[in-house]
Amino acid sequence: MSTARITPLVLMLLILSACKKPTENIKIVVDTDVIKYTAMINVTDASTGASAPANTTITISGDQASNIYELSGKKDIRLTSGMVTIGLQPNVVPAENNPITINVGIASSGYNTASKQITFTTSQKQQVINIPITKTGSTTPPIVTPPPPVYNNTSLTFTGRCPSRTDIEIRPSVYIYFKKTGSLDAFQYLGYMDKGNITTNLLQLNETYDFQIVYGGDTYKVNQKIEQTSYNLTIDMPAACNF
Amino acid sequence: MKRRSLVTFLLLGLICKETNAQTDSSFQSLKGQQSLQLNLGTQGIGAEYVYGVLPELALRGGLNFIPLKANNVFKISGFNSTSNLSADFYNIHVLADYVPAKNLSWFRVVGGFAYFLKARGDIRVIPSDDYKYGDLVLNEDQIGYVDLTVDWKGFAPYLGIALAHTFPKKNFNVSVDLGTYYLTKPKADITGTGLLEGNSSQTPQFQSNIKDYRWLPAIQVNFSYKFKNN
Repeated sequence: MSTARITPLVLMLLILSACKKPTENIKIVVDTDVIKYTAMINVTDASTGASAPANTTITISGDQASNIYELSGKKDIRLTSGMVTIGLQPNVVPAENNPITINVGIASSGYNTASKQITFTTSQKQQVINIPITKTGSTTPPIVTPPPPVYNNTSLTFTGRCPSRTDIEIRPSVYIYFKKTGSLDAFQYLGYMDKGNITTNLLQLNETYDFQIVYGGDTYKVNQKIEQTSYNLTIDMPAACNF
Repeated sequence: MKRRSLVTFLLLGLICKETNAQTDSSFQSLKGQQSLQLNLGTQGIGAEYVYGVLPELALRGGLNFIPLKANNVFKISGFNSTSNLSADFYNIHVLADYVPAKNLSWFRVVGGFAYFLKARGDIRVIPSDDYKYGDLVLNEDQIGYVDLTVDWKGFAPYLGIALAHTFPKKNFNVSVDLGTYYLTKPKADITGTGLLEGNSSQTPQFQSNIKDYRWLPAIQVNFSYKFKNN
């Protein structure tokens, strides 16, 4: 075969050898830090430290109440396992000399009502508000939960999974709680996970932990035995995939 | 549309006529001949100086550039978006034209290399749907965009063929180049803004997908003017 016949054939084969789709297996990564100024509200039974009963309700009042949303962007704010994260809608931010204050009211059958004032300031984007509620007529002193022991640092990177959208990944910015797997104790606050990342010194080597987040009115859990200094964990977050 | 078709038709007619005129097999030594040529093709537009160094061998040096912009040519599956694509390829090159058979003097094997001063493709993907986050409707700035960039800057060898004589028999001719550059291994990158900032984590996958995109085909029509005979 002459050179003139071979060359175009060779060229064509070479060009066609690079036909993998550029976007193959590429996922769209979406952050959840839409609401920047947030407060994690954790309502517990004052006498036991356990999560508030399921029928516990929360109300938001004050001049800026209409600008308060649940962390997933929902206007419907309710407690799940005694927890909810609320925050200012993204177009409203506190000023240096003009913080934004709201009032939170807690009501639960058989318990005294409780209320707390929450203030959003420019210097504090995250805050945890613990609200213990006492049973009506109870004289039991509130339980004091000791701070968890401190260990070496462990880095956790969480990826939110959308069960119905495998082409999308979530980078959650949420408050995360933990407890030892199998323990009957209440979940304790681990920290704020910023864009999926958290470094903590509250995890003991060779222990297995349950991690819990509350987002969009649902709780999501994952567990992991701690044997090294960093882990990548995947957690289902269907409430973050509704777009 | 009709005007473009007519121009294409006339151009093809011109190429056929000129190529027929230039593909007779009578061999004329290339040595000492010189020409300038303008070209148009997949490399964009460019210009070359051609010099015959041996009876069967000519060298050409030149440059090409193609600034390209297009909208909505790129889609990510399952993600409603608009896209803005821009591609910029600027090269300087040196090629050797060799006539392998004197009785087929209109056929040349062409080899050489180019240095791509710029060889870059950029795609900006912008979500086209209103993004509802719970009960909140987010604006474009809050949602952000994703930029995908591929860079092939560097040296690239070239291999191809050319049809029609290297130099015009008289003053002008039209010839055709068919070939390919083999570009350097591309450097791919993904960046994002707003809620899409985290997409930089997809860079390794994008790099892996794009790593074999190194063949840059060249189909080009050359319009030559000979200013010196041997």
